[in-house]
Amino acid sequence: MKVGDYEYLDGLYYTKEHEWMKVEGDKCRIGMCDYAQKQLHEIVFVDLPKVGAKTTQMQSMGTVESVKAVADIFAPASGEILEVNTKLSNNPELLNSSPYGDGWVAIVKPSNLNQELKTLMDSKAYAEFLKTISEKK
Amino acid sequence: MADKTPVYEYHEKNGHVVEFAGFLMPTWYKGILPECAAVRNSVGMFDVSHMGRMWVSGKEAEKFLNYLTPNNVPSLKQFQGHYSLLCNEKGTIVDDIIITRYDQELFLVVFNASNRKKDIAWITDKAKKFNVKLENVSDKVAMFAVQGPKARATVQKISKEEVSKIERFGCGWLTIEGLKCSASGTGYTGEDGLEVYVYDAPIEDPWRAMKVWNAILDAGKEYNIEPCGLGSRDVLRLEAGMCLYGNDIDDTTTPLEARISWTIKLDKGDFIGREALAKQKAEGVKRARVGMKVLGRGIPRAGHEIVRNGKTIGKVTSGTLSPLLGYGIAAGYVPKEYPNEGEKVDIKIRDKNVEAQIVKVPFYDTSKYGWQRKA
Repeated sequence: MKVGDYEYLDGLYYTKEHEWMKVEGDKCRIGMCDYAQKQLHEIVFVDLPKVGAKTTQMQSMGTVESVKAVADIFAPASGEILEVNTKLSNNPELLNSSPYGDGWVAIVKPSNLNQELKTLMDSKAYAEFLKTISEKK
Repeated sequence: MADKTPVYEYHEKNGHVVEFAGFLMPTWYKGILPECAAVRNSVGMFDVSHMGRMWVSGKEAEKFLNYLTPNNVPSLKQFQGHYSLLCNEKGTIVDDIIITRYDQELFLVVFNASNRKKDIAWITDKAKKFNVKLENVSDKVAMFAVQGPKARATVQKISKEEVSKIERFGCGWLTIEGLKCSASGTGYTGEDGLEVYVYDAPIEDPWRAMKVWNAILDAGKEYNIEPCGLGSRDVLRLEAGMCLYGNDIDDTTTPLEARISWTIKLDKGDFIGREALAKQKAEGVKRARVGMKVLGRGIPRAGHEIVRNGKTIGKVTSGTLSPLLGYGIAAGYVPKEYPNEGEKVDIKIRDKNVEAQIVKVPFYDTSKYGWQRKA
């Protein structure tokens, strides 16, 4: 689905900083939205969190960089990093080409999921959010 | 309201436009990476009409410019130019500029977009005591930087005159599409190239500018020319080790510290800042600008600290990933004890110390890239 140029998927949760999160059983997969990758354009560097590191909701868990800009990846959920997408280290452009697929960033074991989900947007709310941003531009 | 250049229409249609130095300029069209590659491997073109340009003419034009700037203006023959500076009395840098002699009593001075107002005021004030005429043509003349190993071949296709006659840093008059133009053998990429000036091309009447812009793009098609934005421009100039005013040099740095001391000719007679620069030269600088190559993972950015043995010794003034080299590169100032090539330092990239090495600039192999490349 799309708002303007920006793709989003059903069934995901979203942050205002354009991270997405997919609940997969008792784990959550995290990535960057299409909007974020389009803003950065050509992503050339990713600083990933370490497996075992703790995340705090809406605190930085890593950074992505284009040639000219740096952006934080904010954790949509608090918890512990179970897995990171190591492919991104050598192929950061996966964040551009497949933000909701091969360009996923990390999998976390959430520690306070039920509470924190309430603070995230569902796909419908995110679509509205994208609309507001696109109109401002 | 931000200003526009005469080819703004093209940027709006084809580029990712941002405001820079009060102008709506493209940061990229296709992307920073393909644009950098085009310039290093073939040819790219930048709209640099936002830069400041001023004719200085009259009986005392040479004498005035020789007093205004630290480089040796009388040494310029007709159609020759050089990189120079505006320094203040303290010897620190008001702007970096290029002066080109078009005729015995006619010089073109080109300066940074971000310093337009400041420089015009500065030059106008200093000119009071001289018999010179100043004409600010920044909004009347369009300027396009055609850069890369195929830059001259591109411009030659549409120019009546022989562009190979234009020396590095020299200039010459050209006729393109029947329009009055000139070109200088200058740029901001480290590559060979021409900066093409289109006359009588104000923003209100941009057709001449558009015509030449499009003619160059057409001519460059066989070389896969790319229109290039400010993003690639900044990467390319840093790969070449060139200074960006406001980042690497400003009115707190001197040309000796910035290691652009070839612009200073202390024995040429009086000029603004001479006394302060002579004193600093005699005493020695306390810090110097160096190039740094990142050995670890990370991209250095302006403002990052340069660390040695746990102690902060300086700051990065420009940093980027070099798409050509595949690693992070930076410029910054370190105390004079350290600027030796090969010396290791750390750059604090956010919370991590990343190892870097002081290297000479340009960062690339000048036998393979840049204007001195071997075929």
